[in-house]
Amino acid sequence: MSAVAPSTTSASGGAATSNNNNAQFNFFKMCIGRPVVVKLNNGVEYRGILEVVDGNMNIVMEQTEEYLNGQLKTKYGDCFLRGNNVLYISAQSKK
Amino acid sequence: MSTEVASPPTSNTPTTQILPLELIEKCIGSRIWICMKNEKEFVGTLLGFDTYVNIFLKDVIEYENTPEGTKQIKLEYILLNGNHVCLVIYRSSVIIID
Amino acid sequence: MEKRDEGTIEEPLDLIRLSLDERIFVKMRQDRELRGKLHAYDQHLNMILSDVEETIRVVEKDEETDEEIVKSIKRKIKMLFVRGDGVILISPPLRSN
Repeated sequence: MSAVAPSTTSASGGAATSNNNNAQFNFFKMCIGRPVVVKLNNGVEYRGILEVVDGNMNIVMEQTEEYLNGQLKTKYGDCFLRGNNVLYISAQSKK
Repeated sequence: MSTEVASPPTSNTPTTQILPLELIEKCIGSRIWICMKNEKEFVGTLLGFDTYVNIFLKDVIEYENTPEGTKQIKLEYILLNGNHVCLVIYRSSVIIID
Repeated sequence: MEKRDEGTIEEPLDLIRLSLDERIFVKMRQDRELRGKLHAYDQHLNMILSDVEETIRVVEKDEETDEEIVKSIKRKIKMLFVRGDGVILISPPLRSN
C-alpha cells in the first residue's frame, strides 16, 4: 500500500507542479522590470522595480521604497529581500 | 491482502482517494478563499500553485484584521508565499452567515 | 558557470556577490540594523561583516506618563558573524551602472 500510493502522488503531483511552475514562471516573466509591491510577514511593504526572483522568493528590487502603515519610511537604490519574510509579490497587468 | 490493496493504482481504475493538492488543482480558475496562520485572509481567482502551496492569484482582496476593523486591500495579481498558508477554501462551498 | 558576465544579476544572490568588499546595510528582525563591510556570505545569507555599526531600536514605556520612548542604541563591532535567518533586507551602496 505504502509503496504504491506515493507513486500515484508523484505522478499527479508532478504534473501539477510542471503546470504551476509555469504559471509562476509566467508571473515572474510578467513582473520583471516592472513595478511591484512586496509585502512581508511583519506588514512592511516594499514598492519598486522587480529585478530578479528565485525559488526561495528571495527578491532583488530597484528604486525601492519602504512603507510602514502606508507611510514612506526609507528609500533604497537596490535591495535584496530574504524570501522567508515574503508574504506576497503583487503586480498589475499592463495598462 | 496487501497485494489486493496495492493493485488498483497500477490498473486504470479511478482513484478512490483524492490527494489534497488534486483538490486544489480542481479549483484552478475559480474563486478561492485563503486563510493564513496569522489573522490575514485572501480571496482571489486561483491561477496556479506549486507543491509548497505557493499560490498565484488574480483579482485579489486581502483582508487584514486591525484594531480599527477589517481592512480590505485590492490587488490585481499576487504570488502568495505558501509558508504561512493555513486553509484553502473553495469559495462557493462557503455559506456566509451575516 | 563562473565565466558569465561579472556585472549581471541572474539570481538574487548575485546582488550580494556584487557587494563583496563594499559597505552594506542590513535590516534584521527585532528592529536591528547593521552597517558594515561585507567579507563573505553563503546561500542562507550567513555573513561576515567588519567595522560594523549596530543600531537597535528599543521602545520603552514611561511608567507614569504612559508615553512611548523610542531609543536608538548604537555600538561598534570590529568583526561580526551574522546568522542568515535573522536577515530581512540587504541594501548595497548605489551601483554606478
